[in-house]
Amino acid sequence: MRFRKRLPYLLLAPSILILLALILYPLGFALRNSFWFWNLQTSPAPLYHSGLDNYRMVFQVTPFAEALKNTLLLAGLGTFAQFWFGMGIALLLYTHLRGMGLFRALLIMPTTLAPVVAGFLFRYLLEPKGGLLPWLLEGVGFPVPPQGFLGNAGTALFSIGVVDTWQWTPFFAIVLYAGLLSISEEVLEAALVDGASRWRLFWSISLPLLRPIAAFLVMIRFMQLFNSFDLVYVLTSGGPGTSSRTLSFNLYREGLVSYNIGLTAAMTWLVVIIVSVIINLYLFFIYRKREW
Amino acid sequence: MSKNGISRRDFLKVGGAAGAALAGASPLGNLARVAAQTDATVNVLTVGDPWDLALQSVVDQFTEATGIGVNIESLGYTALQARLINAFLTQSADADVIAVDQMWISQYADNGWIRSLDDFIAMDSDAHFDDFLPECLYSLSTWRNHVWTLPIASYAQGIMYRTDLFEAAGLDPLPASVADAGDWTWEDYFGILEQINGMDLDGTSMYGTTVIGAQPVPVVHMFTGLSASYGARWFTQFPEAPWDFTPTINSEPNLAALHDWNRLYGWSPPESINYLWFDAGTRYSQGDIGMFYHWTPYFYLVNNEGYLTGTPSPVVDKTATAVLPTRTAGGDQVVSLGGWSLGMPSTSANQDAAWQFIKWATGAEAQKAMGEVNVKGYQFADFSRQSNYDDAGLNEIYPFLGTQLEMMKLGDGKVARPPAPIYTSLEGVYGLQINQAMSGAVSPEQALETTEILFQNILSGNQMIPYGVASFDDTLDNTKALQASLSGM
Repeated sequence: MRFRKRLPYLLLAPSILILLALILYPLGFALRNSFWFWNLQTSPAPLYHSGLDNYRMVFQVTPFAEALKNTLLLAGLGTFAQFWFGMGIALLLYTHLRGMGLFRALLIMPTTLAPVVAGFLFRYLLEPKGGLLPWLLEGVGFPVPPQGFLGNAGTALFSIGVVDTWQWTPFFAIVLYAGLLSISEEVLEAALVDGASRWRLFWSISLPLLRPIAAFLVMIRFMQLFNSFDLVYVLTSGGPGTSSRTLSFNLYREGLVSYNIGLTAAMTWLVVIIVSVIINLYLFFIYRKREW
Repeated sequence: MSKNGISRRDFLKVGGAAGAALAGASPLGNLARVAAQTDATVNVLTVGDPWDLALQSVVDQFTEATGIGVNIESLGYTALQARLINAFLTQSADADVIAVDQMWISQYADNGWIRSLDDFIAMDSDAHFDDFLPECLYSLSTWRNHVWTLPIASYAQGIMYRTDLFEAAGLDPLPASVADAGDWTWEDYFGILEQINGMDLDGTSMYGTTVIGAQPVPVVHMFTGLSASYGARWFTQFPEAPWDFTPTINSEPNLAALHDWNRLYGWSPPESINYLWFDAGTRYSQGDIGMFYHWTPYFYLVNNEGYLTGTPSPVVDKTATAVLPTRTAGGDQVVSLGGWSLGMPSTSANQDAAWQFIKWATGAEAQKAMGEVNVKGYQFADFSRQSNYDDAGLNEIYPFLGTQLEMMKLGDGKVARPPAPIYTSLEGVYGLQINQAMSGAVSPEQALETTEILFQNILSGNQMIPYGVASFDDTLDNTKALQASLSGM
């Protein structure tokens, strides 16, 4: 009898142990290294315990504050834009207008591209000399910076956000469309019978019912955008200056170019703490009245 | 479960065994493959640069001559570095021969990741070690009085300019040799740019020049070409002993160079603040750039309309090359010298075959064959041996070799971009600050002040100030002495 009670735990134990090992071991490894001086440019093994020096160096020798600001801007505004554009497209698909089937099939295509490919594509599209987008924008009187959108400190990060939005808005659209389809038509019809306007219908019925899906989507995309690297690498390499440098690009520079393992580990932990705080605050506010 | 079928328990047993076998198959398979290939095949890890394409086109000649097979795998720069370091740290025999950037030598040698080639060279007169330009060996291959690699592609820097534009502007041709240079200074260079910038040539409005502004690596490569010529140095004393890594980046010559770098940017397309090396090369080859300086492989790469496209560019036969100017008339010159060399990981189980390959690929005959490859245009003139520069056939294909050789002989890869430990960390912050100064986010003064502080922090944090390890008097003369001794002279 006792054995039968414990059996589920025993059966679950290997999976949980593996999961914990896969999460905790790398984090523990990084935490330990963050207190050691270990730079592969000077030694293949950690040299000595360096206390909080690596954490200090993160702020002294890397543009951590600028990268954090850029990352928050990119992740926050990018997620916001993608959610609302995606919602708009989802509502359009929901109207069942002619041609929506084809549109739906085409819509998913940008999402299937590797970010590196999308990056190269837009690098050429945004090329100031002969690029299609600057040419079109100049044609309608939109001011294009002489250095191009990617070469101007004021527009480089925004351009990365636009490319990411181009690529990932369809993902929001498709998932939100699926969410809209799952809403009972009876509820919507009842509201219409009660005299609700289309706007009221969306704001007071559809959107609250989509909330669980939307909240999850927003969280996932925010975390993905927070870790943006590919597009930054291909489009601007974080420049000009630090204007489009993100935390992931900072990690790449220190870890895979400078091979400063101790400093990279310290930066990793700072990022883990920042993301955890943001996500937990988000979850607290979104799900505080629900169990999840 | 059933008499004829397979029970779930049996299925799980078989599946588990198969899974375990598959999981183990990969490393075991690799070991078996390495064992089978020992003495028969060398595995070469290279970088996807133009020289690599030329090498792959002629590598069959090595197999024909020696019976040794070659597996070449080409990776991007960062991927190659990551793969190599992973292999070194895990002590795995990932390759027998590797392409080594000059900046990796100190790290690889000091950590014991690659083996010295001294013994191989000393015992093998076929290597014709005395034929190498000492400047190339010094810049790319030696560290602490040992030879760790042999140069396979050496790059100096030089000027390319539009002859038709110069003619239209009434300008004299630029000096193609140091002997003709006379009082050829950077101020003269800027004066020409001032004159040709904005000129109309056959309906095209010309930019005076183009810079390579992407941060951090590309802009450091090109800015240091100017700053080294101005006499700027990174450290108080390096590579001469005793090493003192106290930074000297915020100096008068470097500040003057950064101001002039910004002037160069003013005569360039605004988007060149984000240009990588090939962006600048292809921009020139598209026809609206009057003159620029770049690594010498672009002496031939600009003949293509794009990067290695094989389509002739509109500037073919309208381009000439010239030597770099000096800061003051008749003053000292230091030219940045970089490139790639081939080395042997300490873990290679195939060292004799690896040496045969290194000796062959860096030898005069293979280098000439690489230079004669004409697949997408001629695509290799990055010679490191005197005999290749003297070769009449090669001079016919690459008429600029004389200019290139003169730049090589003024080259010093240990001063322009010193391959000190943690160089890449320093390059990261340096490139960022130069780029910031170009964008106007900071002034040149602020950029160099910040760079110096960051250098100090990084160098102190990495225990390099004060430097506690033994120094070596790493001079060109000492490399020449080493070359003579290993050549049996």
